[in-house]
Amino acid sequence: MIRFLARRIITLLVALVAISIVIFLLLRVLPGDLALVMAGVNAPASRVEALRTQLGLDEPLGMQYLHWLGSLLHGDLGASQLTGRPVASLVATRAAITFPLIGLGLLVALVVGIPLGCAAVLARSRRVRAVFQTIAVIGGAVPALWAGLVLIVLFAKGSGLLPLFPSQGFPLNAWHNPGAAFMSLILPALTVGLIVGASIMRYTRSALAEQMQSDVIAMAMACGYTRTQAVLHVGLRLALPQLVSVIGLTFAEMITGVMVIENLFALPGIGTGLINDVGHRDLLAVQGELFMLAAFFLVIGLLVDVTHRVLDPRLKG
Amino acid sequence: MQLSRSSQPGSGRSRAVWRVVLATMWAHGTGRFALVVMALWTAIALVSLFWTPVPLGLTDGFNVWAAPSLTHIMGTDGTGADMFSWLIAGMGTDLFIVIVTVALTAALGLLVESLMVSRSVALSQGSIVTVDALISIPTMLIALMLAAPLGATVIGVILACGIGYGLNLARVARPAALLAARSAYVESARANGASAVRVFFTHIVPNCMPVMIVQLSLSAGTALLAEAGLTYLGIGVPSGTPSLGRSIATSVSLITVHPTTVIWPGLTATILVVALNLLGDNLRDAIDPLRNPALRQLGHAVQSSDAAPEREA
Repeated sequence: MIRFLARRIITLLVALVAISIVIFLLLRVLPGDLALVMAGVNAPASRVEALRTQLGLDEPLGMQYLHWLGSLLHGDLGASQLTGRPVASLVATRAAITFPLIGLGLLVALVVGIPLGCAAVLARSRRVRAVFQTIAVIGGAVPALWAGLVLIVLFAKGSGLLPLFPSQGFPLNAWHNPGAAFMSLILPALTVGLIVGASIMRYTRSALAEQMQSDVIAMAMACGYTRTQAVLHVGLRLALPQLVSVIGLTFAEMITGVMVIENLFALPGIGTGLINDVGHRDLLAVQGELFMLAAFFLVIGLLVDVTHRVLDPRLKG
Repeated sequence: MQLSRSSQPGSGRSRAVWRVVLATMWAHGTGRFALVVMALWTAIALVSLFWTPVPLGLTDGFNVWAAPSLTHIMGTDGTGADMFSWLIAGMGTDLFIVIVTVALTAALGLLVESLMVSRSVALSQGSIVTVDALISIPTMLIALMLAAPLGATVIGVILACGIGYGLNLARVARPAALLAARSAYVESARANGASAVRVFFTHIVPNCMPVMIVQLSLSAGTALLAEAGLTYLGIGVPSGTPSLGRSIATSVSLITVHPTTVIWPGLTATILVVALNLLGDNLRDAIDPLRNPALRQLGHAVQSSDAAPEREA
């Protein structure tokens, strides 16, 4: 376990450095000149020159990178060029919307996906299995944007057929009014949850189906379990490590995956913010945010791997 | 090895294999659905290159936000452009994106795969560790990294998807590849002097094929969905270029005007993605001689350890 952990942490550090180099180079080398891009095409040359000095762009590339890396190591992710706010606090404000959204979405996904996945394996009739199969295939093929649109058409206040929930926006005073904030997250969370639920369902089904092939289920049934009990008690426990890995990675992926949904429902979350910063050419903020997100994904990847090992005693040794 | 060399497939035999594969797919309901949709999609894409019901650039300024009618089956958008024509042309763009993405995914996946099963410990361990670390970076984030400097481009979409799915492909196909790489027939091929490249393409790739085909077809569908999302966010297909994502994004603005027109672009995308996924499932079952008895009867797969049928198919 310790060797595994050590190896995995070294990998993480190497990957972090690699990602930081990639992000840095993408934002420096490809567009030509960061200062020119940030100042805009029509800016006077003196303004561009001033910006270049201010950003340290007249230094050699290697030095610039080392400076950035140095400030990263001090926990300084940089600041927005437009508002002057530090990136860390920008991301924190946005995370207060994105994380509740993906938490709720994941909850919906698990409540929908795991029972459906189990039922798909337990169903004996060919026809019923075909129905579950159809649900899984179609659920995985629906564009998130469109699912959100359909939910708006059905349930949004103002234009919906059954006006229940606010269609867009997030209360300006954020979580000071928890009820309103919660209500505005329901439609987006449902959209995300149903789509992610379809994928959780597929994973549950295939992980359980794999266990069904093994002797374990037969053994449990020989010991007096019914087929349903064997699948739910023994099969699900054996499939758990795989499922936890998938759920962990899904959770991480949702942070950027809900970007479209945040945009559609006008929620000022991490994804919307990142897109806006890219649009505003606030490239230093983008650089910090991209690195922070990438680091977050890598850490989640590490945690998932470790949890997988803890949950699956067969991997020990 | 000797067998496969002496029985170089003639074009006649490979045509027979194809006929069996297609017939097997056609015999399944889902396979037939996938084939029909793919054929229609290709036909529509080709036609849309030369002709659309209303020329794409023709905007009817007196007829903006028009309801569906005989002249504009799906109505018009805010500039008076015909939604149906744009949807059709968008299907063409997306077919292009899907095909190139799948090609890039396969190429990158195989490249990484070859490193992962290579006999040099440094190469294989290094690539495994790198992929393990990078796999948790979502495609969306790669797309954003590329969009920051590149802006909205078709190439950005294809690169982001290709990189993300390629790494995933290599990781998913690794168990099958390792199994083949450690097999007796690979050992015997090596002993007979086969080069690493030859071993990889004649033994390891065919054994990964079933897994890879399913994974590639999932990638194809996901690429289409990613295009829709990225285009809506303004970092996918540039404005002015038709695509399914553009059509869905346009329908967002129609939601309060003609809620019913919202259905079509999204439904089209859903059907295409379903067809792509089913195509992969059925293709895997049809080209695998272990699963498809008709293919075995063709007299190919009798050369058991040689994977000639897969290579041709």
